Amino acid sequence: MATNEPPVVGSPNETAGVFAQDFVPLPPADAEVLTTACAYCTIACGYKAYRWPVGKKGGEKASENAFGVDFPSYQVMRPWVSPSQHNIVRHQGRPHHIVIVPDHSAKVVNIDGNHSIRGGTLAQKCFNPQTPTRDRLLYPQIRVRGTLMPVSWDLALNVMADISKWVIDKYGEHAWAMKTYSYEFFENTYAITKLVNQSIGTPAYAQHDKPGAMQDAVGLDDAGINSFSASYEDWGECDVAVISGTDPYETKTILFTTWMMGGKTPNKKLIFITPHRTMGVEYGLRNGGVWLPVIPGTDTALHLAIARIIIENGWQDQEFIDRWIMKNWEVSAGYGRGTRNTGVQWRTTWDKFQTDWEEYKQFILVQEESKLDVAAKITGIDTASIRRAAEIMAKPRADGTRPRTSFMLEKGNYWSNNYMNTASLASLALICGSGNRPGRVISRGGGHQRGMMKSDGASGWLSPEKYPGRRKKPINLDRWVIDGQAKFCWVIGTTWIPAMLASQELGDRLHRMTRGNAHHIHRLERQAIVETFKKRILSGGMVLVDSDIYPVEPLNTQLADIVLPAAAWGEHDVARCNSERRLRLYSKLYDAPGEAHPDWWAIKEFALRMGFGEDGSYQWADGNDVFEEAARFGRKGVLNYHPLVTEARRGGRKAHDLLREYGTTGIQTPIRVVNGKLTGTQRLHDPANKIEALESDTVHGKWLYAFDSHNGKAMLLKTPWRFEGWIDFYEAVKPRKEKGEIWVTTGRVNETWQSGFDDLRKPYLNQRWPYPFIFVNPEDARAKDIESGDFVEAYNDTVYVQTGQPVGVLANDLTFTSLMCNGHINTTTGQFTAVAIVSDEMRPGVAMANFNYPGAPANSVAHAVPDPVTNNYRYKLGRAALTKVGESPFKHSFTSMTLKPRPII
Amino acid sequence: MKAIDKPVIPSRSACGLKDLTRREFLFTAAGSVALVTLASLPGYTLAQSAEHRARLAYYPRRKIGQMSQLETGKPVLLQYPYPEVNCLLIKLGAVGGGGVGPEHDIVCFTTICTHMGGPLEGTYKPEHQILGACPMHLTTFDLTRHGMVVSGHATESLPQIVLETEGDDIYAAGVLGLIYGYAANLERAV
Repeated sequence: MATNEPPVVGSPNETAGVFAQDFVPLPPADAEVLTTACAYCTIACGYKAYRWPVGKKGGEKASENAFGVDFPSYQVMRPWVSPSQHNIVRHQGRPHHIVIVPDHSAKVVNIDGNHSIRGGTLAQKCFNPQTPTRDRLLYPQIRVRGTLMPVSWDLALNVMADISKWVIDKYGEHAWAMKTYSYEFFENTYAITKLVNQSIGTPAYAQHDKPGAMQDAVGLDDAGINSFSASYEDWGECDVAVISGTDPYETKTILFTTWMMGGKTPNKKLIFITPHRTMGVEYGLRNGGVWLPVIPGTDTALHLAIARIIIENGWQDQEFIDRWIMKNWEVSAGYGRGTRNTGVQWRTTWDKFQTDWEEYKQFILVQEESKLDVAAKITGIDTASIRRAAEIMAKPRADGTRPRTSFMLEKGNYWSNNYMNTASLASLALICGSGNRPGRVISRGGGHQRGMMKSDGASGWLSPEKYPGRRKKPINLDRWVIDGQAKFCWVIGTTWIPAMLASQELGDRLHRMTRGNAHHIHRLERQAIVETFKKRILSGGMVLVDSDIYPVEPLNTQLADIVLPAAAWGEHDVARCNSERRLRLYSKLYDAPGEAHPDWWAIKEFALRMGFGEDGSYQWADGNDVFEEAARFGRKGVLNYHPLVTEARRGGRKAHDLLREYGTTGIQTPIRVVNGKLTGTQRLHDPANKIEALESDTVHGKWLYAFDSHNGKAMLLKTPWRFEGWIDFYEAVKPRKEKGEIWVTTGRVNETWQSGFDDLRKPYLNQRWPYPFIFVNPEDARAKDIESGDFVEAYNDTVYVQTGQPVGVLANDLTFTSLMCNGHINTTTGQFTAVAIVSDEMRPGVAMANFNYPGAPANSVAHAVPDPVTNNYRYKLGRAALTKVGESPFKHSFTSMTLKPRPII
Repeated sequence: MKAIDKPVIPSRSACGLKDLTRREFLFTAAGSVALVTLASLPGYTLAQSAEHRARLAYYPRRKIGQMSQLETGKPVLLQYPYPEVNCLLIKLGAVGGGGVGPEHDIVCFTTICTHMGGPLEGTYKPEHQILGACPMHLTTFDLTRHGMVVSGHATESLPQIVLETEGDDIYAAGVLGLIYGYAANLERAV
């Protein structure tokens, strides 16, 4: 692996690896133009695709090309096609050129055609058998004695229906499980949830980023704040942005480069709470901001300390608090409590968290951990930085005006201490007067786009798990599977195993129940397959189906019995929203390869074979039919687009076609009808939204013009650092000095989307990141003799995994200590290997690895024990001892994987 | 894992040119030298050059400097292959892909950011051998690895000028990668 020979330079071979095409075809003036939005991050920039038949050519004169621009053009930000933005695809069976470029006429989101490297290479995502996309799944397959064999859709779906009926009949709907994405377009997610919730009625369902049907930023929800209440204009016009657990430069690129570096207040100050000094952090520091390099999991103590400084100095926004924060009687007089038999009710009935301003103030002032020096010790941040951050975000100016401060949080925050971090940040933000005004918002940054349109009805009440007081708690699908309760499981569009915690343990268990079971298919005949599956299940095994676009290691390459080929972005017309609730149509650009079909189609065909079509359901002819049906179920939500469907029908048109006319601009949900016109909603909770009369089928939620609570006010939440649902777990998972461990948290870089499923197949991006990284501080690296470019193994010999289905009766039954006492915690081990990048951009004692990267499951070293308050995992709290394996081939390469530090300005 | 170890060189025949090796390019480039020399005079501005946009059929070979005149970490601004295209000739002080000279550390790159055309002159970071961050959107490029994006948004590496040496003289002899704003670096039947 390692070579000590000096690198060969200057020879012709040496430059051979560079992807360096020096021309690109231009679309001719008559090329077809289709609009879409980016397939990747939550910001969803607008893109245009130019399509023309192979054989035609555009010219360099403005009159000869579709951009109407003379090439070469010597100006910045003019339309330009980089070689990565061109491909050859099939359209109606014939080869066509396709050029996919950011929409340079965009007036929203990516104004003037700004774009990320991910979206900028969308053309390379398109299926072309001459490129690395050639390993797309092209036809259904069934595994025979370990090898996947091609079969017809009919056989695959018939077998799935036969065994599903048998499983439901014999074991009940609990035993029929599903694990899917939450974001891959309304058409698909509606079809999936209709099947899960209404037709099967199983509680065994989990989305890609959670072990079950849990909430994300739960503290925000309890405070009355919708996680996606903000618009990008708010990030453009705030004076101060507090950014917790993310760097939007890395993961929400255009939100940063267009709105935060620009917008109405380009001189805004940025306060970053993250252990990684990424490019955005460096930019913030150079523009008067602050970096708070927090030790993973300790954000709550930091929030307490900042709140104390604000309160002690009287910097809170008293006017806002008096108007918008719940008073004592509003908090405690029976209000502010969740509906019966839910986790919300459990959280709000024992007066542990919710409070009013007066009590919150007292709470903050008596906390030991809110003292500056104590918090500094817990969080690992110097006192001056904490004090400065408090001053920037809340101290009124000499003229008495306040800085307009907005608060963003993402997974570094809510995936390390789910409830306490979100609740404490929400409270801190509220006392700064943020939450419902332009430039003063509290919002998630977002990860994926917002493509979930849930059907009605769910069967969570069938879950055997209970919160204390026996309040219902969603099933944890990972545990459900590990415990052998799932007999049939259909996975759609997610890697599942490396995305969840104690990944290797979960993978081992899935293997034992599928490939490791004695019963394997030996011939492709319907009855024989079903009989084999029955024997498999009766002997403790499980039947696993996976729908995806590519081979996924190990889910469908090693484990799944049936593999279904899906059609993806650009291969059928679909719709979804971005993180400012902007709804766009994503046009079909080219033919789906082979026999790949949209997931809604596979769901429909399966449902019909299950007999669920007898009442007229699932009779969808195209994606538009699903889109229009789904609209009825989103009417009460913030993604309500029902008025668009009504408007389209009134004109005798398809809703997809009406949405297509909105192009890359789209329209922000909830869509309302104002003065007879479809009208978008820029910001939630904003009193400026109040409208007197309801027109057409407009639906008004209270959250439109006030906070999302019983009385429209926001609730402050108390978050003691030593809360018993947190502190024992935190103490147990800390790195152990005697083992030489450090924190191993996870994250992503700008140049990679999600699991890299496309990036690994995009030649340029693959060259940039051919192997997963682990960023290590020089101090930690020196201790283990690690240099940039070395392969490093991260190993944790004590990974905690919750087992069984613990039922909470008393308040503390589900704390880590109680679970341990009651035999609900197992220990296992976890490891992964990555290429080290040694840089002082990491704080000492914390390394950051690629999240969910194929072949390097960094989540293996983090603990599968959910937050007892919310049932969500604490993904970011991995720990490991690092060991140098040897030099990677990238250490001395000139053509792949630069190892330079990132935050260089 | 699909590491790109093999040459990824697109077929030129798709755009009407037969496949040419770089040596063939260089061999046939001599005739263009005079034009380029004229165009690369100091002070030759964009406006003046607008009328001289006649495109090259091949990359010219042109003397752009002398190794003995270069100081480590101090870039020299020049134009290649057109007067509109600024480049930096840099002695990195560290081995670079495509680097010439006894230390293989002399490289030359265009300074137009391949994201959206931002100007990179004046952004060289000698301690990291990085060009950038681009003042527009903060993209950085690793000059030891053929101008690969370190962090940011450009969908191509920074185009690298192919260098050759003769004694102390440094010659530019080609461009690896499409220059921002161009549909083709060279004249071709498009």
